[in-house]
Amino acid sequence: MGEFKVHRVRFFNYVPSGIRCVAYNNQSNRLAVSRTDGTVEIYNLSANYFQEKFFPGHESRATEALCWAKGQRLFSAGLNGEIIEYDLQALDIKYSMDAFGGPIWSMAASPSGSQLLVGCEDGSVKLFQINPDKIQFERNFDRQKSRILSLSWHPSGTHIAAGSIDYISVFDIKSGSAVHKMLVDRQYMGVSKRKCIIWGVAFLSDGTVISVDSAGKVQFWDSATGTLVKTHLVANADVQSIAVSDQEDSFVVGTAEGTVFHFQLVSVTSNSSEKQWVRTKPFQHHTHDVRTVAHSPTALISGGTDTHLVIRPLMEKVEVKNYDAALRKITFPHRRLISCSKKRQLLLFQFSHHLDLWRLGSTVATGKHGDTLPLSKDADHLLQLKTKGPENIICSCVSPCGSWIAYSTASRFFLRRLNYEHDNLSLHRVSKMPACLRSAVQIMFSEDSTKLFVASNQGSLHILRLLEGSFKHLHTFQAQSGTVESMCLLAVSPDGNWLAASGTSAGVHVYSVKRLKLHCTVPAYNFPVTALAIAPKTNNLVIAHSDQQIFEYSIPDKQYTEWSRAIQKQGFHHHWLQRDTPITHIGFHPKRPAHILLHDAYMFCIIDKSLPLPNDKTLLYNPLPPTNESDVIRRRTAHAFKISKKYKPLLFMDLLDEGTLVAVERPLDDIIAQLPPPIKKKKFGT
Amino acid sequence: MVQLRPRASRAPASASAMVDEGQPASEEAEHGLLLGQPSSGAAAEPLEEDGDGDDDLDDEAPEELTFASAQAEARAEERRVRETARRDKTLLKEKRKRREELFIEQKKRKLLPDTVLQKLTTASQTNIKKSPGKLKEDKSQKKNEECEKGNESKKVKEKIQSIGQNKSYLARRLKDQDLRDSRQQAAKAFIQNSLYGPGTNRTTGTQKKQNAKRFKRRWMVRKMKTSKK
Repeated sequence: MGEFKVHRVRFFNYVPSGIRCVAYNNQSNRLAVSRTDGTVEIYNLSANYFQEKFFPGHESRATEALCWAKGQRLFSAGLNGEIIEYDLQALDIKYSMDAFGGPIWSMAASPSGSQLLVGCEDGSVKLFQINPDKIQFERNFDRQKSRILSLSWHPSGTHIAAGSIDYISVFDIKSGSAVHKMLVDRQYMGVSKRKCIIWGVAFLSDGTVISVDSAGKVQFWDSATGTLVKTHLVANADVQSIAVSDQEDSFVVGTAEGTVFHFQLVSVTSNSSEKQWVRTKPFQHHTHDVRTVAHSPTALISGGTDTHLVIRPLMEKVEVKNYDAALRKITFPHRRLISCSKKRQLLLFQFSHHLDLWRLGSTVATGKHGDTLPLSKDADHLLQLKTKGPENIICSCVSPCGSWIAYSTASRFFLRRLNYEHDNLSLHRVSKMPACLRSAVQIMFSEDSTKLFVASNQGSLHILRLLEGSFKHLHTFQAQSGTVESMCLLAVSPDGNWLAASGTSAGVHVYSVKRLKLHCTVPAYNFPVTALAIAPKTNNLVIAHSDQQIFEYSIPDKQYTEWSRAIQKQGFHHHWLQRDTPITHIGFHPKRPAHILLHDAYMFCIIDKSLPLPNDKTLLYNPLPPTNESDVIRRRTAHAFKISKKYKPLLFMDLLDEGTLVAVERPLDDIIAQLPPPIKKKKFGT
Repeated sequence: MVQLRPRASRAPASASAMVDEGQPASEEAEHGLLLGQPSSGAAAEPLEEDGDGDDDLDDEAPEELTFASAQAEARAEERRVRETARRDKTLLKEKRKRREELFIEQKKRKLLPDTVLQKLTTASQTNIKKSPGKLKEDKSQKKNEECEKGNESKKVKEKIQSIGQNKSYLARRLKDQDLRDSRQQAAKAFIQNSLYGPGTNRTTGTQKKQNAKRFKRRWMVRKMKTSKK
């Protein structure tokens, strides 16, 4: 395999934003997740829980509610008082409409999917009609005294329950007036001065309203009479979210202590028909507040301030009990946030509102396997580029020579030229970037840093030639046919002749840069592409999919390579397929064409195509056996997949030159240390 | 019952208090005087005595005040008072007028020049005339549409008007923007307070460190004790 010096980088201060809302869409099995910085991410739960699309955040868009409506339409509403509809094909915001009620706290789509209800700061509940092109305001309901924090439709669409501060109102849709007003006790037993905030309500078809509030209670109300039926005290802190399954036989609540409780409707005795709600399972997968929960037919989904997205399949609902029924915890991003300039040993870190450019340190010491070498020169923070304006950065890239930095936000594209003179760094702005480049989802430089490739969110690809201080627009490839399935990923061949782009349902397109036309298309695969790269010299396109399959396609021959066919025939090792984080980067060794370097969040692997493939009986993860073993045994156990789990959690890993690797790690503890404070919990012994 | 002669000071005071009433007040004053008159002689003596005690004019007869003179005196007083009041009123009026003019002046200075205002009014008229579908600028037009539809709203609507055809800038009422910002701030403060404010049971970084320190100390003490044994 070879010996490498590894730059172990831990100074990327990446802190993801907390999750604020989740919305599950049953028809397409997709999950929309909105974060506190305004980003909305779409996860495809059937494609191995891969984040296929996202909408960049915006400082003023503090989303408080997210919901799906009929026809795969996604709406969000927030404290800026606007309802926003997202275009999932153009990866853009269709429009935003002001509700004129002040900050919006809650939103719910009707069971038929054709109407939208929002609860506002001024206590009004507004009804909107969802038209094919836009939403239209219909009418206001009776205005309440305090802000409407939660809403829920009755499955028949005739009544709604609205949770406010200290009371819950039940409205009749036709008249728009409050039918009942149910007062909630501020504390279960005893008196409390703090107001009781009803964080969530759910309306069941038998007329029961379930409410969760800040006193830690889950209460069942009868909406016909407006009376309290049952109270469950589940926590000492707020219970912040509730979600009911479609069959209405189970629901899930999330608390501020990080616990998620599962309630189920069970019969009182084994053969009676009378049923009651019983708290069955507690799950402690979060350390901080669980601000949102969702209930899919087979799983409980929760997310909160600790930034993890936890999907817990319910064993009794899962049909096949295989690895798919395991807990999934999505913490690290599914896309690369780091780009690397190999010549100058620079790393560009992408944050939501700024970019950091670092130069790696160097060492002159040598040592044996496993030693930590002292740095002769420390890593240098060269540059911090801040964006002006409230929008988040969508993507960024540094050129391999280190002289160009390009990044884009939703409204603009930025290109900067860097000049290095005797330890001094100067930055020049390249102005008048064409407007078609804005909202780019992927940026890539050619290996010789003369060309810039930009994939925009509309599906078109732009090629620019870079000159000394300016650029020239060379060509634009228009969007090909097929629907947009995931965010476009780009790969450029090191010799600069080929450009590969993924993301549509048609497959991966390969374009010839010299002739500026489409060369071929890799056949479509039903799982989205997570990483893409073109090998030097052989021009083999290596594609990694979200179900952990890897394909190697020869671009000049326009067909899959022998090795790719062989591994598809044999199949990957089951431990390889059971990894739950996607491969986010593929790299190559300049001198060894048989090696492919790839990594996901918890391992990095060098595939040696010259070695035999492992079958299911051999051990996939077999670190180097001790040297006193005989050669025969070593040869027998050696296989193509050389996996190392030494550096984790990995955000980025690449080969800088023949003998050096760079690994950017982000320990989970460092992220947790920067999160807002959790609820105090009494631990035994402290 | 002793009816005291109304003193010189009192009559004008009562007259001035009712000077705005005009006629009825003077009648009343006269009436009071009338009432007072017959007994004035009777009460005069003891008063005179008290008043002029020092002068010691016991044997001198009191002054003979004719009704007519007293009436004339009272009337003159009244007139004087009325005059001063009228003068005060006119002075105040003048002051107020001057202030109003000053404000109008200032407002005029603050307002945009007439040309721009004209442009605005003509632009708004053309906006209303144009069909809704034409204008590309979605946000401003949508707001205008909603305003025209008569969207029921208790808040003051934001008036966004685009000047000219090129839409190089938008005019926005700052008052509305401030209101919107303040409401957003209030909402953010509410959620921050309810989740992290006083009364919530949250740990802080320092609290955790203190707990850790305390636990370590206790553990060390326990360890020492057991090792000693």
